[in-house]
Amino acid sequence: MTPNVSLQSSETGRPATRAAWLLFAPLGAWLVLFIVAPTFILFVYSFFHGIGVREVQATFTPGNYARVFGPAYLRIFGRSILYAGATTVLCALIGYPVAYYIGRADERRRNRLLLLVMIPFWTSFLIRTFAWYTILQRQGLLNGLLEALHIIPTLLHAPIELLYSPTAVMITLVYTYLPFMILPIYASVEKLDNSLLEAASDLGAGPMQTFRRVTLPLTGPGIAAGVIMVFVPAIAMFAVTNLMSGGKVRLIGDEIEKQFYSAGDLPFGSALGMTLLALFMLTFWLATRSAAKGK
Amino acid sequence: MRNGLILGLLAGLLVASGCHKQEKLHLFAWSEYVPQEVIDGFTKETGIPVDYEVYDSNEAMLAKLAPGSAQYDVIQPSEYAVEHLIHREMLAPLDFSQIPNVANLAPDMRDLPYDPGQKYSVPYMTGTVGIVVNTETVKDPIHGFADVFQEKYRGRIVVVDDDREIVSWALSTLGVPINNMSPENLAKAKPLLKRWLPLIKVFDSNDPKRPLLGGDVDIGIIYSGDAAMLYQQDHKFQYILPTEGAHQFIDNLCVPAGSQNKAAAYAFINYILRPDVSKIISDKFPYTNPNAAARKLLSPEQLANPASYPQAGHLDVFHDIGQSAADVAALMTELRGQSD
Repeated sequence: MTPNVSLQSSETGRPATRAAWLLFAPLGAWLVLFIVAPTFILFVYSFFHGIGVREVQATFTPGNYARVFGPAYLRIFGRSILYAGATTVLCALIGYPVAYYIGRADERRRNRLLLLVMIPFWTSFLIRTFAWYTILQRQGLLNGLLEALHIIPTLLHAPIELLYSPTAVMITLVYTYLPFMILPIYASVEKLDNSLLEAASDLGAGPMQTFRRVTLPLTGPGIAAGVIMVFVPAIAMFAVTNLMSGGKVRLIGDEIEKQFYSAGDLPFGSALGMTLLALFMLTFWLATRSAAKGK
Repeated sequence: MRNGLILGLLAGLLVASGCHKQEKLHLFAWSEYVPQEVIDGFTKETGIPVDYEVYDSNEAMLAKLAPGSAQYDVIQPSEYAVEHLIHREMLAPLDFSQIPNVANLAPDMRDLPYDPGQKYSVPYMTGTVGIVVNTETVKDPIHGFADVFQEKYRGRIVVVDDDREIVSWALSTLGVPINNMSPENLAKAKPLLKRWLPLIKVFDSNDPKRPLLGGDVDIGIIYSGDAAMLYQQDHKFQYILPTEGAHQFIDNLCVPAGSQNKAAAYAFINYILRPDVSKIISDKFPYTNPNAAARKLLSPEQLANPASYPQAGHLDVFHDIGQSAADVAALMTELRGQSD
């Protein structure tokens, strides 16, 4: 076994060894084959003419992008950003206190709490979504509970109709992505140096001021990582949002799927996909830049 | 222990490559449409293992069948998809000398317009898209689309999530032929759709029964097979063929031109056409059975189910609309994008 293999050892700055490249080769090949090449194909296709169902003419046109930036699709992009943004904000507001509490707890307790955050991952995501379906439907568990507690019909006149609404979509999105916000914030809270907090307090800072001027900046990178891990996948979420809203909340992921399947307009679907990719990169750039500034 | 694992993997590879020699039937069909019992029965009788892969729309199937992609031996396209595939020479002509059970089909289910001379297709099941009404909660009579899309039913309607289907309802309400999706006709349908779409609560093709059973909605425009299952569960769910005209679909068994195992494909199609096998399919998925010999084996209750065997009405069949599909998708994207 070769010890200390790394592509570019950061301490010594010495160039990567042959063995290192060999170790990297499978990952590199995988990336090129399944990420770089398909993206390149999408990019090329996005400038072709769609001339029939799943048929393309290989001549250059910027027309697909003109359609992407037309009012119908801008509205869908805007809606996707809105839902993903609201999900990110809610996840941060709910996730931060949870992550802070777990990160500051003693070790045994901390591990137990972390386990609780991870447990949902043991069940298939699809099954968990259908569980929400059963809870939220009109004759579902939530309304059943409210009836059993006589909240319906005393406080509320009729069963609440949560399923097939934007609220149902938000519940699913926040539920799905919350762990992805908690874990990175937890990682930065755990690293918080107690002596800094003590120093702040010794120098006369109140709890609010300590939080604002010490804790928050120090956990900033965790929040930025959480924002990327929630916002980026949330914006491209599809199928599940369609299911929970009864097909009423149309997001960009569903639209892209539709172009490749029922509409069969491959170039236009590619153009939508490339635009979404550009949006990802923009988000990533903004988040890493703000994290770097936070430091 | 690690050695044991590697040995196990190697053994697995050997077994897998051994299996490869045995001919396998690659079936590519609609989800929830071919009972496992039927597939197991076929393997038991012929020794041919079946690889069953599913799709949930003709378009998804066509996308996967595109030239150069995965090979299948039997596919299950609807009538307009058969037309599309014949047009592109993507189907193999069937050797009916190996499918003698084709004689079991009802006479009106042979030689259908989408496959002149019946060279490429054998009907599997047929059905309609019609209206289901929960008669406990909806007291006013409903005869057609115009009765469904009323302001008083806002938020109480489920429909199949299929753009072309929904647009065709507007066209038949306007008295326009449903297979002519020209820009002028789509422009005519637009105001009507604009009024209709906000009234709908759920768009769902996979399981439109669920919101009806769960009490979330009271009216549905759904596939007759789903409607028949609802009726079996509770007779309060009544099925109505819309007076404006209903879409009749005919799902077929076909063999793609690239099939490597045509003999097994013919054996499978012939097996499906056997009356006792076809009856199992009807028991599980109560669509309209095109097999006259199998229909004789059905119970009186099955035959009396108004969704499976509706009173004759005005039925229309879809044809391949070619490039108009993109216009239909664009129109519906625009309208549905505005509806929330």
